[in-house]
Amino acid sequence: MTIMEPRKHGDASDGMIGGRQSRFEGSLKVTGAATYALEYPAENLAHAILVQATIPAGKVVSVDKAAALAAPGVLMILTPEDDFGMTVATDWGGNRPDNQPYYPLPRDVKYNGEPIVAVVAESREQAFEAAKLICIRYEAAPHVASIADPKAGEGQVMDNLTTKWGDAEAAFAAAPVKIEGEYRTPREYHVAMEPHGLTAKWDGNELTIWEPSQWSHGMARTYSEWFNIPYEDVRLISPFIGGGFGSKGGALAHGAVAAFASRKLGRPIRLALTRPQNFTNYGGRAATYQSIKLGATEDGILQSIIHRGASETSTYATWPEQTGAATPILYKVENFSSQHRVVPVNSVTPGALRGPGKNPSSFGIESAMEELAYKLNMDPLDIRLKNYNDFDRQSNKPWSTRRLREALTEGAEAFGWSKRSHAPRSMREGKTLIGWGIGCGTFPVIQAPSEAMIRILGNGRVEVVSGAIDMGQGTYTILAQTAADVFGIPVDQVEVHLGDSRLPGAAIAGGSMLAGSILGAVHKAATAARDELIGLALSDAKSPLRDTGANTLAFAGGRITPPRGEGPSLTLPELMAALGREQLETTRNTLPDGASAEEQRQAWTTMAKVQGPTMGEFSMHSWCAHFAEVRVDEDFGTVRVSRMVSAFDCGRLYNPRLVESQWRGGIIMGIGQALLEEGLVDLRNGRTVNGNAGDYLVPTNSDIPDIQTISVGVPDYNASALGGKGVGEVGIVGVAASIANAVYHATGKRVRDLPITLEKLI
Amino acid sequence: MTRTIHLSLDINGERRELDVEPRVTLLDALRDHLALTGTKKGCDQGQCGACTCHVDDKRVLSCLTLAAQVEGRQVTTIEGLADENGVLHAVQSAFIEHDAFQCGYCTPGQIMSAVACIREGHAGSDAEIREYMSGNLCRCGAYNNIVVAVREAAKAVSAPARMVEVA
Ligand code: FES
Ligand code: FES
Repeated sequence: MTIMEPRKHGDASDGMIGGRQSRFEGSLKVTGAATYALEYPAENLAHAILVQATIPAGKVVSVDKAAALAAPGVLMILTPEDDFGMTVATDWGGNRPDNQPYYPLPRDVKYNGEPIVAVVAESREQAFEAAKLICIRYEAAPHVASIADPKAGEGQVMDNLTTKWGDAEAAFAAAPVKIEGEYRTPREYHVAMEPHGLTAKWDGNELTIWEPSQWSHGMARTYSEWFNIPYEDVRLISPFIGGGFGSKGGALAHGAVAAFASRKLGRPIRLALTRPQNFTNYGGRAATYQSIKLGATEDGILQSIIHRGASETSTYATWPEQTGAATPILYKVENFSSQHRVVPVNSVTPGALRGPGKNPSSFGIESAMEELAYKLNMDPLDIRLKNYNDFDRQSNKPWSTRRLREALTEGAEAFGWSKRSHAPRSMREGKTLIGWGIGCGTFPVIQAPSEAMIRILGNGRVEVVSGAIDMGQGTYTILAQTAADVFGIPVDQVEVHLGDSRLPGAAIAGGSMLAGSILGAVHKAATAARDELIGLALSDAKSPLRDTGANTLAFAGGRITPPRGEGPSLTLPELMAALGREQLETTRNTLPDGASAEEQRQAWTTMAKVQGPTMGEFSMHSWCAHFAEVRVDEDFGTVRVSRMVSAFDCGRLYNPRLVESQWRGGIIMGIGQALLEEGLVDLRNGRTVNGNAGDYLVPTNSDIPDIQTISVGVPDYNASALGGKGVGEVGIVGVAASIANAVYHATGKRVRDLPITLEKLI
Repeated sequence: MTRTIHLSLDINGERRELDVEPRVTLLDALRDHLALTGTKKGCDQGQCGACTCHVDDKRVLSCLTLAAQVEGRQVTTIEGLADENGVLHAVQSAFIEHDAFQCGYCTPGQIMSAVACIREGHAGSDAEIREYMSGNLCRCGAYNNIVVAVREAAKAVSAPARMVEVA
């Protein structure tokens, strides 16, 4: 077992792949010098703001803008009357309808809060003031406010999410021990600390966008398709992103409005969403519910799992939050049945939020497993080990690696699980009830082809160039480590350029797929660059290494030497100078050789080439087990998480220091999900009631205990070229269940609907 | 035209002149009019702490402060924390050393709060640090490491000045 403690002082090995190098861009971030999207200066800038629909469904009949147009500083007002001349862009699935017009300010209102009007003024303050003078008349239509609305109905079954093997109904009926429960999760939001927003600027027919982005290439493609301009004519710049968590992967209506307004006005436009608009202008995690039936033998062997789930979607797009995503793979069971429905409601289309699908799915199955354990009077750890899943029955493939058993046992050891007293309400300190619970999590290994450039400069510095992004996961750092490793140089001899759609293409920073994807490309490019340099050094007439008789060269400790040390040893700048080279540039990608330019474009700007977890010989996933301790005030029902130990199998860790930070971040978001976070909807009008950072509660520093993380992974070279599996998403998966289970252990009350607020306990 | 007022502000020890509408907040004045974008806007409603600055050495939320209110007072932002030679403040170094951030967006506000938290004498225990750092949200979830960084920086700050520079 390795308990990762940040080391006080670094050493040289920290800079290699797998080392604990501190954050590459750290000094920029602690001095305020890291520049986020809205912080780029633009001359002659104008400001746009959005006016939102106040009805949940219907039509805009008229917009009276006369008074607003006459207000000080107002330059332009855009309404559904305006001809935007834009066309619908390719969707996530890679589909694009032919020549369908796109209206970012639509006449048909589909949800309360939808942007209807944009006001452009010299200053943001003037735009807001003028917006108050706009009068919109609507024709209201009937609406469905949320999944809880009696009018919502059953929704539609998603056939592609229906899974079954064996005969789950018969096995459940025959099982001697049964449990059954319904589990609910509310709407949840990203609340990245940097709100969405952008600056758009046209130079002739070329569009530059400064916007936080988890996918510079994919978003540039969307802008180019909206305006029917060549992809090359759009440049999206996003070197720093103030958190995304799934929300910044695609271009959104407000981006279209800003870019259109900028072209029409002939000036750069900045449009910053307000914090409340960050709750309405793009979707968070959909509300879900799921019913789970488990059948087992008297000694706790699972016989059957029957799962029926549903999630909210919008009336204009289908986005399933897959409640059955983790259910089929966590435990060994010979009879299984799962189905998921989507229920259209008048809300913005939900989106991906950390651990999409797996997260609510795990809340259901991990709560249900502990319910079964208590029914059988079994230790919740034992029931999980007893039903350990030996291969993936859904895909019928072996696991590439699955060290969930080690996660469970080593996590239990570190937590002190053996000291647990089984009966609910049996552990207390005075009026404080203490409870322990477990929750397991998983997230698939996903990858996409990527490209990277390595530039060796005459001064010996090595540049890594990629359009990949860093929103805090550590892309800058691990790419610098990769180049340092390949060239045997210190990290501070490396420069990393990221976050620009004009740079080589990369996978989206989503689904935990970026690190594995881009590291493969950077490693390939760096190795190719090194080989090219070796070739030159051994053959170029000017090279002092030419006559050493060596057939390769070693790169270590900042020096380049023939393998057995015979002959001269040079630094990188010395070798470049001897070769008379100003720079050496090498680009490589991880597509099959000979991919056409169009295939390359498609690979970085759509999801077409994404590799799922079971597309090869194996079933590939990250795994984790969370152990939570809660303290519940017996009189007031307040719950505090007092301790967490989480053990992870994410394969090889490229930088454990940064990985631990990401794991903790996921766990903390999971604590918020368990105890605090809940998007509330007014059923009368579909309005998001608590859409701000004060009423939608996210964890604060004082909500969070010390969290111990443990890595039990081993390199998995089936999962990625360098042995890592995904890190960012899996941290949150299973946390909410571990806390709900601990609350049950403390209080004897089973809370099946999140968040676990005090009124549910008293 | 909207009326503007002339302000003369003391920011990071420098006199800065600007003409702004009277309703402009200190936060927008810094970010949009003075090109000091280190101070972040997370909510613009006093809920997140990202915009934390010091006015006369006390922490304030610059989104809830009008620029016109700080005339005649000393404003310190994240850009003014390192010394004139660029040597980082002990809190800044501790944030890097202990990986007390990920995306970095809440970080300037966290650091300004941490400097004040230590100065106020509220860094005596981890529990106290957690409590007095709770006005600054971090959605990336760097809280554990923020606590360690503030604890370690508090030790460095209370050590002799020579030590602080080394840190
Ligand atoms: S921006 Fe000031 S508190 Fe959030
Ligand atoms: S570091 Fe991203 S919000 Fe704190």
